[in-house]
Amino acid sequence: MEEYDLFPGCVIQNRIPYIEDSARKVFDKLGIKTSDAPFGCCPDPVGFNAVHHKSWMAMSARNLTIAEIDGRSIASLCNGCTQTLKAVNVELKQSEEEKDSINAVLAKIGREFKGTISVKHFVQILIEDVSIEKIKEAITTPFTGLKVACHTGCHYARPSHIMQWDDPMEPKCLRELVEATGATAVDYDEEVLCCGAGVGNTEEEPAMQILKQKFNSAIQAGAECFVVICPACFQQMDGNQRILKKMFEKDYNIPILYLTELFALAMGYKYDDLNLKLHRARPQALLEKYNAV
Amino acid sequence: MAVIDFEFRNSIIQKDLGNTLAYCYQCGTCSGACPVAQVTKGRYNPRKLILNSLLGLKENLLLGAENNFNIWGCTVCDTCDEMCPQNVELTEIFILLKNMSVEKGEAPEYYTTQAKFILEHGKAIPLAPAIERRRDQMGLPKAPKVDKKEIRALLKETGLVKIIGPLEEEKKEGVK
Ligand code: SF4
Ligand code: SF4
Repeated sequence: MEEYDLFPGCVIQNRIPYIEDSARKVFDKLGIKTSDAPFGCCPDPVGFNAVHHKSWMAMSARNLTIAEIDGRSIASLCNGCTQTLKAVNVELKQSEEEKDSINAVLAKIGREFKGTISVKHFVQILIEDVSIEKIKEAITTPFTGLKVACHTGCHYARPSHIMQWDDPMEPKCLRELVEATGATAVDYDEEVLCCGAGVGNTEEEPAMQILKQKFNSAIQAGAECFVVICPACFQQMDGNQRILKKMFEKDYNIPILYLTELFALAMGYKYDDLNLKLHRARPQALLEKYNAV
Repeated sequence: MAVIDFEFRNSIIQKDLGNTLAYCYQCGTCSGACPVAQVTKGRYNPRKLILNSLLGLKENLLLGAENNFNIWGCTVCDTCDEMCPQNVELTEIFILLKNMSVEKGEAPEYYTTQAKFILEHGKAIPLAPAIERRRDQMGLPKAPKVDKKEIRALLKETGLVKIIGPLEEEKKEGVK
């Protein structure tokens, strides 16, 4: 199997490292090999790109050159990082003009973008390098009966002409991966609806309206938890339930699991091994039902 | 009376990011699909942003820091780009508008604060000592050190420092 440079992203690495821990545990079980590298900020496609496009491109290109020197493609644990790194990689590979302009600034720090590696979201690696069959073989504690609302998030397959992976408006991979654990991916109307984190940077209320709409739709469809693959979505959905409670007087208390956490649990790790008590909406009661505590 | 600013319009269309602007035929699919437009009863409206950009009505777009929701209300879900029948790359055009808003000092604080963190630490979220301890407890490898000096040099070269200003410590160095 190909070895990758791991790109955890600064939210996972420096704020919610228990997700990185779950990812490393799962990668070990599945034989996915990664190395660490001194990457800078991806940087944030919602934030930093909006401040200064050229700086966003240059920072991203710098990260790509680090992986190029290592001779390894990038395995990203985050939707946002994936989108930034992939968008800039594709753009610079396609446009000589853009490439020259970015290489002119990279030259000042002794670097050059060559376009020799690719960038993949870890979901893509699970599907392509490992396969659903192999994952099923690694499951020891299946989640038969668990009803999951899959939340793929926005920056994973859109814009489709750049991301070229999965379906941008009806994503399938996360559902397949969740179902590999024996759980059921419920159908709910607002499955592709954004978590609302982006507008939350500007104003809280619309962000919470969007989140509420998403939660209501999933709960109505019978979901007992969400499974996510992006730390920004994770923080918005797990961390901000207390704001929802204040704003709408409704305590959702619905667990949000990272896909790698669900996998680690299904591969035999327990609640404490994964530090799941650090979630705001603690999944303890739910996981007791499945002998995962 | 509205002033049509052709230069403004051309500054969008002539850029790589903005060259799909002219394809818009104002069907409204984007606003219909936009989650923020739904929950704000149109206070945020992507179709209008495109229309005002097309017409060069800069004064309808950059409304000051108090009224920046028209531009910054976007949650960047990239749904409109995907749904637009004319393949207008709305969110790329919005990047140009947001960059202009930042230059005029009209952006929400979140954005400029994050950019300053990236300039200072090389990351939007630096590693705090408490998290470093937690990583150790979990048995995670040390987070690799980021070359902050190199990143600062790069961001000076790209022009970011001119836009958001130098770091406090470098301001002091400048005085010496
Ligand atoms: S969907 Fe496309 S063509 Fe229709 S109004 Fe929006 S930008 Fe214009
Ligand atoms: S990217 Fe922005 S404008 Fe487009 S649909 Fe999403 S929130 Fe609306």
